[in-house]
Amino acid sequence: MRVCLVGNQNSGKTSLFNALTGMNQKVGNWPGVTIDRKEGIVKGTDLEIIDLPGVYSLNPFTSEEKITRDFLLNEQYDVILNIIDSTSIERSLYLTTQLIDLGKRVVIALNMCDLLKKKGYHVHEDILSEVLNLPVIKVSALKNEGIDKLIKTLESMDKNQISSVKIFDDDIEKAVAELSLKISVNQRYNALKILEEDNLYLKKDHPEAEEIIQKLKNIYNKGLDEVIADERYNFIVKNKSLFFHSDRQEETISDKLDKVFLNKYAAIPIFVVIMALVYFLSVGLVGNFTTGLIESLFELIKTSLRSGLESISAWPWLISLLCDGIITGIGAVLNFIPQLIILFICISILETCGYMSRISFFLDRLFRKFGLSGKSIIPFIVGSGCSVPGIMTARTIENEKEKKVTILLTPFIPCSAKLPVITLFTTFFFGSLAWLASVSLYFLAIIIILLSAILFKKVYMKDETEHYILELPEYKKPSFRYVTRDVAEKVWSFIKRAGTIIFVCSVIVWFLTSFSWTFQYGVDIENSILASIGSILAYIFYPVIGHLSWAATVSALLGIVAKEQIVSTMAVIAGLADNASNGSLIFANSRIFSFFNGVNGYAFMVFCLFSAPCLGAISAMRKELNSKKAMFKAIAYQTLLAYVLASLINGIGTLVMLII
Amino acid sequence: MVLTDLKIHQKAVVTKVNITNALLKRRILDMGITSGVVIEIKKIAPLGDPIDISLRGYQLCLRKNELSQIECEVIK
Repeated sequence: MRVCLVGNQNSGKTSLFNALTGMNQKVGNWPGVTIDRKEGIVKGTDLEIIDLPGVYSLNPFTSEEKITRDFLLNEQYDVILNIIDSTSIERSLYLTTQLIDLGKRVVIALNMCDLLKKKGYHVHEDILSEVLNLPVIKVSALKNEGIDKLIKTLESMDKNQISSVKIFDDDIEKAVAELSLKISVNQRYNALKILEEDNLYLKKDHPEAEEIIQKLKNIYNKGLDEVIADERYNFIVKNKSLFFHSDRQEETISDKLDKVFLNKYAAIPIFVVIMALVYFLSVGLVGNFTTGLIESLFELIKTSLRSGLESISAWPWLISLLCDGIITGIGAVLNFIPQLIILFICISILETCGYMSRISFFLDRLFRKFGLSGKSIIPFIVGSGCSVPGIMTARTIENEKEKKVTILLTPFIPCSAKLPVITLFTTFFFGSLAWLASVSLYFLAIIIILLSAILFKKVYMKDETEHYILELPEYKKPSFRYVTRDVAEKVWSFIKRAGTIIFVCSVIVWFLTSFSWTFQYGVDIENSILASIGSILAYIFYPVIGHLSWAATVSALLGIVAKEQIVSTMAVIAGLADNASNGSLIFANSRIFSFFNGVNGYAFMVFCLFSAPCLGAISAMRKELNSKKAMFKAIAYQTLLAYVLASLINGIGTLVMLII
Repeated sequence: MVLTDLKIHQKAVVTKVNITNALLKRRILDMGITSGVVIEIKKIAPLGDPIDISLRGYQLCLRKNELSQIECEVIK
C-alpha cells in the first residue's frame, strides 16, 4: 500500500518519516524534476511511505509545494497520511480540508500533543475524528510514541473507502456537486478550482460554470477564492470548541526569549556573537586540535604502508600511486571532517531550535535593500559549512528569480573546503597578520555578494513584486536524535564524495604528474603530462599570479573537483607527499611554488574562492536551478568575476609594491 | 484602518483583504488571514520591518507592504 506523507513545514514530517521507516529509506528523484525524493518501507509490512515536501496548502507558492500538489493530483497512491502540528491546529486542519477534497482515504497523525499540553491545551482526538470522519492517531514523532498504533491503523485501512465531509455552505456544496458530474478525475478538487477561477482551470473548458459562478458571486458579494478559504476556516473554527480545550493563556516562553533575541538593540549583536561562536567552535577549537591529529594518523598509515610494500618489493609505481596519490589526496579531504561535523551540528541546532527563522526575520529589511529577502540568509549561513546543502535550502524561497540569484551567490561564501587554501597562504605570507588576511577575504565575499545582488536586481529582477511570508515557529529544544541523524546524513554524503570523485581525481592527478606523454613512469615532474597541459593554460592564468606557472594553474583548475583538492594537488606536485597543509615546505622548499608572494598569493586565493565552485556544488546548482543553461551562465559569471578581480588585485598590488 | 496602523500588542479583526496580486492573495488567505480572523501585532523586527503577527494560534511574519493592504477594525 502506497502512503503519501503530507504536512506543513515544521510539523515534524521528517521525524515521523524516520520513525516509520527507520533505516529502510531510499532516495530518488521526482518525476520531471531532479529534486531528492525519499521513499521508505515500514519494516514487516507492505506500507510504502513517500515523503512529500512540506506544504501549507494545495495552492502552491514555491516550486517545492508544486511538487507535492502535482504528485497528489497525478500519481498513484492509496492513502494520505496527514501529519498535523497540534500547536497550530487551525492552520494545519486547513490543509486537511483540502486533502479530503482529493477523494482519497486520509489518516491524521496528531503530532506535538506533549508541547500543546505544556501550554495548557488539550485535543480530543476521538471528537476530531468524528468531526472529520477519518481516523486520528496521536503521535510523538520525536519520542517514537504512537507509531505502532499509527502503523496498525494504516495497515487495516480499507483503501476503497474515501474520506468525505461537508465543509461548505449548501450553496457551494450544491454547485460543487453539479460541476463534479462533468469532471472525470479529482472531481471535488477540480470543481472547487473552477469555482475559485484558478488560472489553471480555464472557464472556457467549462462554459456551464460561468452561470454558477456568477450566481454564487451575487450571493456572497466577493471572489469565490476568498469565500472558499473563509468557509474552510469557518468550518474548523466552528468545530474547534468541540475537540480543543484550553485552560489558560499567558505569555509563552518563546515570547520571553524573543524579548531578548529580537530586541531592538541586542538582536544584531547577539547574532554576531552566536555566529562567531559557531566558527570559533568548529574552525578554531576543534579544527586546530583535530587537523594535526588526523594528519599524523594518515602520515602513520602512509609510512607503514610504504615500508610494508617496499619489504615485499612491490612495484615502485604502485607504492607511489597508493601513498602519493590516493592516501595524500583523500587524507587532505578527511582532515577537516571533525570541524565539518561541529559546523553541521551548530547549523542543525540553529535550524531546529527556531533561531534561524528569527535571523531571517530581523535581517529581511537589510537584505531587501539588495534585492534579496531575509530568506536568503539561511542558504548563506548553511553555505559557510558546505555550498551543497546551502544551495538546497534555497528551495524555500518563493520568488523564482530571488531563488536563482541566491543559488548563484551562495558559492561565494567561503565554505569549509576553502579553508585549507586560506590557511595555507595566509599563515605563510602574512605571518602574525594571517587572521586579518582571512577576515578580509570573508568581507570581500560579503561585498561581492551584495554588489552582485544589486546588479541582478537592476537587470534581472526589475519589475518583481516583492513579498515575504514566513512562519515564526516557537523555540524548541533541539532533538538529539534529529540532529545526529541530520548531521550523519550530511557528513556521510561528504565522505562518499571523498571516496568517489576525489579518489578518482587524485589517481588522475597522480597519473598525469608521474607519467610523460610516452607513458614513461618516473619522469621529472616538469616533463609530465600535467606540466605540458598546464604550461599552455598558464598563459591564460598569467594575469592572476603574474607568473607563467603550470603548477599553480593546474592546482587552481583542479579546485573544480573539490576546493580541498587545490592544497592536495599543490602538495603532490611540490613533491611533498607528506604534510599537505604545511605552507613553509610547499613555498620555501620547492622551486615550483617559490615565485609566490603576498600579493599574487592573495590574488590566487581570491581566484580559488570565487571562481566556479566544486563539482558537488555545481551539480546541486544544476539540480536546483533545474536548467543546464542557467547553471553554465552562473558558473561563467562566477569564474569571470573571480578572474577579473584576482587579476586586478595582482596588477594593482604589484604596482603598489613597486612604488613602495 | 489597515494592519500597519496598529501598535504593538494591539488586536484587530480583519475585514477585507485587498491584495491585488492573485497568487499572493491566495497564499495570504491560505495562511488563515480571512475576514473575521483576530490578529495581534506581536513583534516588530529591529530594523522596523517585517512585522510578526499572531493569528489562529501561530505566528506569521509579513512585510508592511502586504499588511497595509489588509483592512481591519481594532478590538477594544
